Amino acid sequence: MYSAVWLLICFLSFAGVYLSLSAPFLAAIHVLVYTGAILVLFVFVIMLLNLRDEELGEEYPAGTRFLAAGGCTALFTLIAVPIYEAHLPGMPPLPEDGHFGSIESVGNLLFTVYGLPFELVSVLIIVAMFGALVLAKKKLWGPA
Amino acid sequence: MTEYLLLSAAIFAIGAYGVIARRNLLIVLMSLELMLNGVNIALVAFSRGRVDADPTGQVFVLMVMAVAAAEVAVGLAIVIALFRTRRTLDTNDLHQLNG
Repeated sequence: MYSAVWLLICFLSFAGVYLSLSAPFLAAIHVLVYTGAILVLFVFVIMLLNLRDEELGEEYPAGTRFLAAGGCTALFTLIAVPIYEAHLPGMPPLPEDGHFGSIESVGNLLFTVYGLPFELVSVLIIVAMFGALVLAKKKLWGPA
Repeated sequence: MTEYLLLSAAIFAIGAYGVIARRNLLIVLMSLELMLNGVNIALVAFSRGRVDADPTGQVFVLMVMAVAAAEVAVGLAIVIALFRTRRTLDTNDLHQLNG
Protein backbone atom coordinates (compact mmCIF):
# COMPACT_ATOMS: atom_id res chain seq x y z
CA MET A 1 0.00 0.00 0.00
CA TYR A 2 1.65 3.14 -1.24
CA SER A 3 -0.76 5.32 0.73
CA ALA A 4 0.95 4.35 3.99
CA VAL A 5 4.29 5.57 2.64
CA TRP A 6 2.74 8.86 1.50
CA LEU A 7 1.10 9.21 4.89
CA LEU A 8 4.56 8.80 6.44
CA ILE A 9 5.91 11.62 4.27
CA CYS A 10 2.88 13.73 5.21
CA PHE A 11 3.41 13.16 8.93
CA LEU A 12 7.11 13.99 8.70
CA SER A 13 6.31 17.27 6.93
CA PHE A 14 3.73 18.08 9.62
CA ALA A 15 6.55 17.71 12.13
CA GLY A 16 8.46 20.25 10.03
CA VAL A 17 5.49 22.61 10.19
CA TYR A 18 5.44 22.29 13.99
CA LEU A 19 9.15 23.08 14.09
CA SER A 20 8.58 26.20 11.99
CA LEU A 21 5.87 27.22 14.46
CA SER A 22 8.49 26.95 17.24
CA ALA A 23 6.97 23.91 18.89
CA PRO A 24 9.96 21.54 19.03
CA PHE A 25 8.52 19.36 21.82
CA LEU A 26 5.32 18.86 19.85
CA ALA A 27 7.28 18.01 16.70
CA ALA A 28 9.19 15.31 18.57
CA ILE A 29 6.01 13.89 20.12
CA HIS A 30 4.33 14.01 16.71
CA VAL A 31 7.09 11.96 15.10
CA LEU A 32 7.05 9.50 18.00
CA VAL A 33 3.28 9.03 18.14
CA TYR A 34 2.32 9.23 14.48
CA THR A 35 5.22 7.66 12.62
CA GLY A 36 6.35 5.56 15.54
CA ALA A 37 3.01 4.19 16.69
CA ILE A 38 0.08 4.93 14.40
CA LEU A 39 1.79 4.35 11.08
CA VAL A 40 3.51 1.20 12.32
CA LEU A 41 0.07 -0.02 13.41
CA PHE A 42 -1.32 0.72 9.94
CA VAL A 43 1.52 -1.07 8.18
CA PHE A 44 1.18 -3.98 10.60
CA VAL A 45 -2.54 -4.33 9.88
CA ILE A 46 -1.95 -4.05 6.12
CA MET A 47 0.59 -6.85 6.31
CA LEU A 48 -1.59 -8.91 8.65
CA LEU A 49 -4.66 -8.73 6.42
CA ASN A 50 -2.58 -9.29 3.26
CA LEU A 51 -5.41 -8.01 1.06
CA ARG A 52 -5.90 -9.21 -2.46
CA ASP A 53 -7.30 -6.87 -5.09
CA GLU A 54 -10.72 -8.50 -5.24
CA GLU A 55 -11.14 -8.15 -1.47
CA LEU A 56 -10.67 -4.41 -1.69
CA GLY A 57 -13.94 -3.95 -3.57
CA GLU A 58 -14.82 -1.34 -6.13
CA GLU A 59 -14.22 2.33 -5.57
CA TYR A 60 -17.06 4.75 -6.24
CA PRO A 61 -17.62 5.71 -9.90
CA ALA A 62 -15.85 8.82 -11.16
CA GLY A 63 -19.03 10.93 -11.06
CA THR A 64 -19.58 10.33 -7.35
CA ARG A 65 -15.95 11.06 -6.62
CA PHE A 66 -16.07 14.31 -8.59
CA LEU A 67 -19.14 15.26 -6.59
CA ALA A 68 -17.32 14.54 -3.33
CA ALA A 69 -14.27 16.49 -4.55
CA GLY A 70 -16.52 19.43 -5.41
CA GLY A 71 -18.10 19.30 -1.97
CA CYS A 72 -14.71 19.25 -0.26
CA THR A 73 -13.46 22.12 -2.42
CA ALA A 74 -16.56 24.05 -1.35
CA LEU A 75 -15.75 23.18 2.27
CA PHE A 76 -12.20 24.46 1.79
CA THR A 77 -13.43 27.71 0.24
CA LEU A 78 -15.94 28.11 3.04
CA ILE A 79 -13.09 27.96 5.57
CA ALA A 80 -10.48 29.80 3.50
CA VAL A 81 -12.46 32.89 2.50
CA PRO A 82 -13.06 34.13 6.09
CA ILE A 83 -9.40 33.45 6.88
CA TYR A 84 -8.38 35.64 3.92
CA GLU A 85 -10.84 38.37 4.80
CA ALA A 86 -9.85 38.46 8.47
CA HIS A 87 -6.42 39.98 7.58
CA LEU A 88 -4.79 38.22 10.48
CA PRO A 89 -1.68 39.84 11.90
CA GLY A 90 1.70 38.22 11.44
CA MET A 91 3.36 36.16 14.13
CA PRO A 92 4.29 38.17 17.22
CA PRO A 93 7.93 38.08 18.26
CA LEU A 94 8.91 35.26 20.58
CA PRO A 95 9.85 36.06 24.18
CA GLU A 96 13.56 36.44 24.78
CA ASP A 97 14.02 33.47 27.13
CA GLY A 98 13.45 30.98 24.29
CA HIS A 99 11.21 28.76 26.44
CA PHE A 100 8.18 28.92 24.16
CA GLY A 101 7.17 25.43 23.09
CA SER A 102 9.90 23.73 25.07
CA ILE A 103 9.30 20.64 27.19
CA GLU A 104 9.48 22.85 30.25
CA SER A 105 6.72 25.28 29.28
CA VAL A 106 4.34 22.65 27.87
CA GLY A 107 4.97 20.28 30.76
CA ASN A 108 4.37 23.02 33.30
CA LEU A 109 0.92 23.66 31.86
CA LEU A 110 0.23 19.95 31.49
CA PHE A 111 0.89 19.17 35.13
CA THR A 112 -0.67 22.27 36.71
CA VAL A 113 -3.57 23.84 34.84
CA TYR A 114 -4.45 20.78 32.74
CA GLY A 115 -3.64 18.12 35.32
CA LEU A 116 -7.08 16.53 35.36
CA PRO A 117 -7.44 16.16 31.56
CA PHE A 118 -3.92 14.77 31.48
CA GLU A 119 -4.86 12.07 33.98
CA LEU A 120 -8.13 11.36 32.18
CA VAL A 121 -6.17 10.70 28.99
CA SER A 122 -4.58 7.73 30.75
CA VAL A 123 -8.06 6.36 31.49
CA LEU A 124 -8.96 6.81 27.82
CA ILE A 125 -5.85 4.98 26.67
CA ILE A 126 -6.45 2.09 29.10
CA VAL A 127 -10.03 1.76 27.85
CA ALA A 128 -8.87 1.92 24.21
CA MET A 129 -6.22 -0.71 24.91
CA PHE A 130 -8.68 -3.15 26.45
CA GLY A 131 -11.23 -2.38 23.74
CA ALA A 132 -8.72 -3.10 20.99
CA LEU A 133 -7.69 -6.35 22.69
CA VAL A 134 -11.28 -7.52 23.09
CA LEU A 135 -12.23 -6.57 19.54
CA ALA A 136 -9.24 -8.17 17.85
CA LYS A 137 -9.30 -11.36 19.90
CA LYS A 138 -10.47 -14.36 17.94
CA LYS A 139 -12.78 -15.93 20.47
CA LEU A 140 -13.77 -14.28 23.71
CA TRP A 141 -15.47 -17.18 25.43
CA GLY A 142 -15.08 -20.90 25.21
CA PRO A 143 -12.09 -22.86 23.96
CA ALA A 144 -9.97 -21.01 21.44
CA MET B 1 -0.62 33.06 10.30
CA THR B 2 -2.88 33.08 7.24
CA GLU B 3 -0.68 30.57 5.42
CA TYR B 4 -0.75 28.11 8.28
CA LEU B 5 -4.52 28.34 8.64
CA LEU B 6 -4.94 27.83 4.88
CA LEU B 7 -2.66 24.79 5.04
CA SER B 8 -4.74 23.47 7.91
CA ALA B 9 -7.99 24.01 6.02
CA ALA B 10 -6.58 22.35 2.90
CA ILE B 11 -5.43 19.28 4.83
CA PHE B 12 -8.80 19.07 6.56
CA ALA B 13 -10.61 19.25 3.21
CA ILE B 14 -8.35 16.59 1.67
CA GLY B 15 -9.00 14.34 4.65
CA ALA B 16 -12.74 14.94 4.35
CA TYR B 17 -12.55 13.96 0.68
CA GLY B 18 -10.79 10.75 1.62
CA VAL B 19 -13.40 9.92 4.23
CA ILE B 20 -16.32 10.60 1.88
CA ALA B 21 -15.10 9.32 -1.48
CA ARG B 22 -13.09 6.22 -0.63
CA ARG B 23 -14.59 2.85 0.21
CA ASN B 24 -11.54 1.09 1.59
CA LEU B 25 -11.89 1.17 5.37
CA LEU B 26 -8.12 1.49 5.93
CA ILE B 27 -7.92 4.55 3.66
CA VAL B 28 -10.90 6.07 5.50
CA LEU B 29 -9.04 5.69 8.80
CA MET B 30 -5.89 7.25 7.31
CA SER B 31 -7.93 10.20 6.04
CA LEU B 32 -9.40 10.63 9.52
CA GLU B 33 -5.86 10.96 10.85
CA LEU B 34 -5.22 13.58 8.17
CA MET B 35 -8.26 15.59 9.31
CA LEU B 36 -7.11 15.48 12.94
CA ASN B 37 -3.68 16.68 11.85
CA GLY B 38 -5.18 19.59 9.97
CA VAL B 39 -6.92 20.75 13.13
CA ASN B 40 -3.70 20.26 15.10
CA ILE B 41 -1.81 22.60 12.78
CA ALA B 42 -4.47 25.28 13.28
CA LEU B 43 -4.22 24.88 17.07
CA VAL B 44 -0.42 25.19 17.06
CA ALA B 45 -0.59 28.20 14.73
CA PHE B 46 -3.06 29.99 17.03
CA SER B 47 -0.90 29.13 20.03
CA ARG B 48 2.12 30.66 18.29
CA GLY B 49 0.09 33.70 17.24
CA ARG B 50 -0.73 34.77 20.78
CA VAL B 51 1.05 37.89 21.94
CA ASP B 52 1.53 36.61 25.50
CA ALA B 53 3.38 33.46 24.31
CA ASP B 54 1.02 31.02 26.03
CA PRO B 55 1.59 27.42 24.86
CA THR B 56 -1.88 26.24 25.92
CA GLY B 57 -2.72 25.32 22.32
CA GLN B 58 0.16 22.86 22.30
CA VAL B 59 -1.29 21.14 25.35
CA PHE B 60 -4.56 20.76 23.46
CA VAL B 61 -2.69 19.24 20.53
CA LEU B 62 -1.15 16.68 22.88
CA MET B 63 -4.65 15.71 24.02
CA VAL B 64 -5.81 15.42 20.40
CA MET B 65 -2.84 13.18 19.64
CA ALA B 66 -3.72 10.90 22.55
CA VAL B 67 -7.32 10.66 21.35
CA ALA B 68 -6.12 9.99 17.79
CA ALA B 69 -3.87 7.19 19.00
CA ALA B 70 -6.71 5.60 20.97
CA GLU B 71 -9.07 6.01 18.01
CA VAL B 72 -6.70 4.37 15.56
CA ALA B 73 -6.05 1.45 17.92
CA VAL B 74 -9.75 0.73 18.33
CA GLY B 75 -10.45 1.41 14.64
CA LEU B 76 -7.81 -1.01 13.41
CA ALA B 77 -9.03 -3.63 15.88
CA ILE B 78 -12.52 -3.22 14.38
CA VAL B 79 -11.00 -3.52 10.89
CA ILE B 80 -9.30 -6.79 11.84
CA ALA B 81 -12.47 -8.19 13.44
CA LEU B 82 -14.56 -7.16 10.43
CA PHE B 83 -12.16 -8.63 7.92
CA ARG B 84 -12.02 -11.87 9.87
CA THR B 85 -15.79 -12.33 9.77
CA ARG B 86 -16.76 -10.70 6.46
CA ARG B 87 -13.60 -11.00 4.28
CA THR B 88 -14.12 -7.46 2.97
CA LEU B 89 -13.10 -3.90 3.77
CA ASP B 90 -15.57 -2.23 1.44
CA THR B 91 -17.68 0.25 3.40
CA ASN B 92 -20.68 -0.36 1.11
CA ASP B 93 -20.67 -4.08 1.84
CA LEU B 94 -20.78 -3.41 5.57
CA HIS B 95 -24.41 -2.42 5.88
CA GLN B 96 -25.64 -4.89 8.48
CA LEU B 97 -26.39 -2.07 10.90
CA ASN B 98 -28.44 -0.16 8.34
CA GLY B 99 -31.68 -1.56 9.73
